[in-house]
Amino acid sequence: MITTHSLTKRYGAATAVDNLTFEVPSGVVTGFLGPNGSGKSTTMRMIVGLDLPDSGSALIGGKHYAELDWPLREVGALLDAKAFHPARSARNHLRWLALGNDIPRVRVDEVLDQVGLTSVANRRVGKFSLGMTQRLGIAAALLGDPGVLLFDEPVNGLDPEGIRWVRHFLRDLAKEGRTVLVSSHLISEMSLTADRLVVIGRGRLIAETSVADFVARSGDGAVRLVTPDQVAFTAVISAAGATVEDEGRSLTVEGLTSSQIGELGVQNGLRIYELTPITASLEDAFMELTQDEVEYRPSTMPGAFAVGEKG
Amino acid sequence: MSTEIVLNAPRGHYRIKHVARSEMAKIITLRSSAIALGLTFAACLLVTGLVSHSALHHDPGYYSGFDPTSESLTGMITVALAGGVMGALLITSEYSSGTIRSTLAAAPKRPLLLATKVGVTSVLMVVFCEVLSFASFFLGQAILSGGGAPSASLASSGSARAVVMTGLFIALIALMSFGFGLIFRSTAAAIAAFVGVIFVLPLVMHGISESDVHYLPTNILINSIMSTVNQGPGGPFAPVSPTVGLVLMTVYAAVALAVGAVLFVRRDA
Repeated sequence: MITTHSLTKRYGAATAVDNLTFEVPSGVVTGFLGPNGSGKSTTMRMIVGLDLPDSGSALIGGKHYAELDWPLREVGALLDAKAFHPARSARNHLRWLALGNDIPRVRVDEVLDQVGLTSVANRRVGKFSLGMTQRLGIAAALLGDPGVLLFDEPVNGLDPEGIRWVRHFLRDLAKEGRTVLVSSHLISEMSLTADRLVVIGRGRLIAETSVADFVARSGDGAVRLVTPDQVAFTAVISAAGATVEDEGRSLTVEGLTSSQIGELGVQNGLRIYELTPITASLEDAFMELTQDEVEYRPSTMPGAFAVGEKG
Repeated sequence: MSTEIVLNAPRGHYRIKHVARSEMAKIITLRSSAIALGLTFAACLLVTGLVSHSALHHDPGYYSGFDPTSESLTGMITVALAGGVMGALLITSEYSSGTIRSTLAAAPKRPLLLATKVGVTSVLMVVFCEVLSFASFFLGQAILSGGGAPSASLASSGSARAVVMTGLFIALIALMSFGFGLIFRSTAAAIAAFVGVIFVLPLVMHGISESDVHYLPTNILINSIMSTVNQGPGGPFAPVSPTVGLVLMTVYAAVALAVGAVLFVRRDA
């Protein structure tokens, strides 16, 4: 389990991480979600002791990272992708890491196989594609078979097949009882991978909740109704105390469930072609919550959310 | 929530021996390490060979005050250059490649990590510089005696001392450069600092204070350490004795390393 308490990091006048307190339990995938520059990477770097917090603490199983007996056997971290010398082979990179924590040499070939890099194990890392580099980073994180795993934007640079692989893989790791924290600025990715969410914006905690709750919080139970009897239906629904919005080819009803609307239709002899409950997407929920927290936003596209490379 | 995976980790915790193995493996697995050491070896012996050869067949007057030991160690200047560059690169390449993040992930106790790194670098540099110092000496003496010029052996006065100390001194220069690497973290900046201190400062100091030039590493190396003739407080060129010179160099290296260590432990990686 990872716990942060009032974690704060400043760079000069800018506060990158602001009084951040959250918990990452074991056995589930916790998504760490926030716009670019919201402090996700800085937080993860503080958890593994690369950056020192100005105040507060980040603990793994109650210990600072630097106090761990065998760090690589307890925590595996994939941070900013590049953590290798380009002239060293993938196998040699993992070998020196393994030596540092007395990890048996067989693990090197095991994890290379696990991430699918066996055939290029002796190639210089500098020749690797972004996706292969990412796989090597994942292999390094798995090397010590750790119970706690941190992945910062793990699907960056991976092809669709690789993305699917990471998704399943993270869930499998969590199913084995491990603590998995995975950051992303891609909401769609989180909705497929994570069970829990820690959402931050501008370094501050916005939400710490399950994915379902997060979506429900924003989804207000509206129903879309397509009917040829729009005028009559609008009058009936309004009479029932609900609100109706005319969307042109459909009506959006708030305040009644689909079954209630269906009953109204039958009672009043009105035709229903389509009746769809509208659930807000994770993206909608996220946009709503982080509207004021996005740091970098083109002025011409208010509310736009960056996709693609991380900043 | 508390079902953390139980791993079959060995007892205790990671120690210096694990970090040292790891650091050695890092050096061995880079082909550039072997290439750099090999090229330095070749360059050193080439320079010593050429210098010793050009000292042959002169008028007898040329050989008054001739120091065959110092002559045969001339190639070690190239080792000082190479050692300084390697010393800096041993740490700055970790920063430029990002390897330092992996290094700190495996060994987050920074003082322990740094002590091990300095230890491994010291052993590597001392062994390499001593081997070259002896090789350079024997090659030079073979050429000098073969050509009929005055030559020395390890039994000659001050020769063994000069050979051993030259190796140690240059290893200390490499460690000072490692300290610069810790301070600047950038290869270009660290090597600029090293070249500045070793090769530029002596020239600049000549114009500022003639008497203080003697306390610079380069001047100590050439006048006090490599030399068996113009040494000691009474010597015309070297007011610094070999022992004092070696102590001074140890202090220079220690200061660079100490400043670097404080920054290394405190700074974000």
